[in-house]
Amino acid sequence: MSDPREAIIRFDHASFGFPGLIALKDISLTIYEGEFVGVIGPNGSGKTTLCRAVLGLLAPVEGHLHIFDCACDELRCHHRAKIGYLPQKGVVDRNFPVTVLETVMMGRYGALGLFKRPGRKDRDIALEALAQVGMESHKDNALGHLSGGQQQRVFIARALAQQPKVLILDEPTTGLDLTTQHNVIELVQHLHDELKLTVLLITHDINMIRSRVDRMVLLKTRLFAAASPAEVLKPEILHQVYGKDLVITENDLVIVEDYHHHH
Amino acid sequence: MLDLLTYDFMQRSLLAAAMVGGLCSVIGVFVVLRGLAFVGAGTSHAAFAGVTLGYLMGWPPLLLAIVFGLATVWITGWVEERGRMKLDVSIGILYTTTMALAILFIGLMKTYNAEVYGFLFGSVLSVTPEELRIIGALSVLVLGLLLLFAKELYFIAFDQEMAEASGVPARQIFFLLLTLVALTVVVSLKTVGAILVFAMILIPASTAYQLTHSLAALTFYSAVIGILTAVAGVLMSALWDVPSGPAIVLLATTLFFISVFFSPKRVRRTWLVHRR
Repeated sequence: MSDPREAIIRFDHASFGFPGLIALKDISLTIYEGEFVGVIGPNGSGKTTLCRAVLGLLAPVEGHLHIFDCACDELRCHHRAKIGYLPQKGVVDRNFPVTVLETVMMGRYGALGLFKRPGRKDRDIALEALAQVGMESHKDNALGHLSGGQQQRVFIARALAQQPKVLILDEPTTGLDLTTQHNVIELVQHLHDELKLTVLLITHDINMIRSRVDRMVLLKTRLFAAASPAEVLKPEILHQVYGKDLVITENDLVIVEDYHHHH
Repeated sequence: MLDLLTYDFMQRSLLAAAMVGGLCSVIGVFVVLRGLAFVGAGTSHAAFAGVTLGYLMGWPPLLLAIVFGLATVWITGWVEERGRMKLDVSIGILYTTTMALAILFIGLMKTYNAEVYGFLFGSVLSVTPEELRIIGALSVLVLGLLLLFAKELYFIAFDQEMAEASGVPARQIFFLLLTLVALTVVVSLKTVGAILVFAMILIPASTAYQLTHSLAALTFYSAVIGILTAVAGVLMSALWDVPSGPAIVLLATTLFFISVFFSPKRVRRTWLVHRR
């Protein structure tokens, strides 16, 4: 099957992990330029491994992974700086002495390369990234003094400062209140639309992303589905991965059925 | 007091103190941020073991100090990277092993050697012109490399995996940092001694940490505090005839507690609690 769009990430029967402990097995999946892809699956299903592989932090133990049509068997390929990454929310030391602008400037370091000092142009790029996430007025504030949602915005700005083609977000809404979760997802959608970024969004919140993503990738060590939300969110497909307790309501919400309540 | 400054030995020791104070406090910023405090302590004891072996065998003590120091940090970094053991456990083992070796080597010496103890407790007032040249050369080397790789060093101190993911050779930079810590320890052995060098690395950076929320300001404050306390400590040592190492370290500790007391971070936290 040929597709007119440019393939940006292509897994070709790729497996990741260690011998005896395979985190992802025999994955064949192509992600095209400009796609908004939601990656879902239970805990320990290999979602973060998928991210780390695309970032070049892990080499496939079997098969191949092509990024920007380059076989990245060689880790730390020069394409890596074109992929912006928001790691799973770690605990930021509230007292770590770093300002918002200093944090975002770090996004320039990989692209700049060794021995080059960031200049005015890099500062402008970092300020523009901060403006894109609506945090420019906080540039001189301490990172540790911001709220969880604001910190996520700053980390998204750091990823944008790399001027990436692909944005990977690993559970960006974990630990945030409902309104803030919504705002962060809105921001990601906005960046996808405005900057034409290819987005890989890992999340547990199927309902929040179903109306926004072009495709959903359902993982549980193997790839169970990679298609439009309407095609993936069917009981017979979800039950294979999440078990029989998951139901889809009349208004298309995916929920866990509560038997005690039911009876 | 001004008379004191006309003596050659006094000028040498003030210069040595300023260089060591500046060097330790700048590398200390990365040590504190990357959580390598214990590595500094372990390395200084390993370097001291190198010195004792040097005196025992009649080999150059500083060269062996470098060998022992580098071996310790590289083994520690390698063990952590392979995920076999946490950093504090492996450094704890090497720390005590090298200390045991140092005691063994001292025991094997048939005569009492005062110079060996000079490396343990520091004797900045007896720094020779040749030692001053070595300190100067190594300081330029370490500070030059720190400056050259500053942006990568800050990045791995903040978030090593993120640095790696965005294309920074994080692993190599981490080993560079470990190497620079080892070299700094060796440079400082003669002036502040194996036991107190650790304080020179930790205290100025921790003091500055209380005062600012900016990486650039942190480094600047740390260097100023490091140089000032080292120079003032040497002057106090000469004026009042007290040992220089403890004078420097106790002065730095006093500043540290004052900074904790007046820290804007501390004030802010109290303010937040009251607001709730």
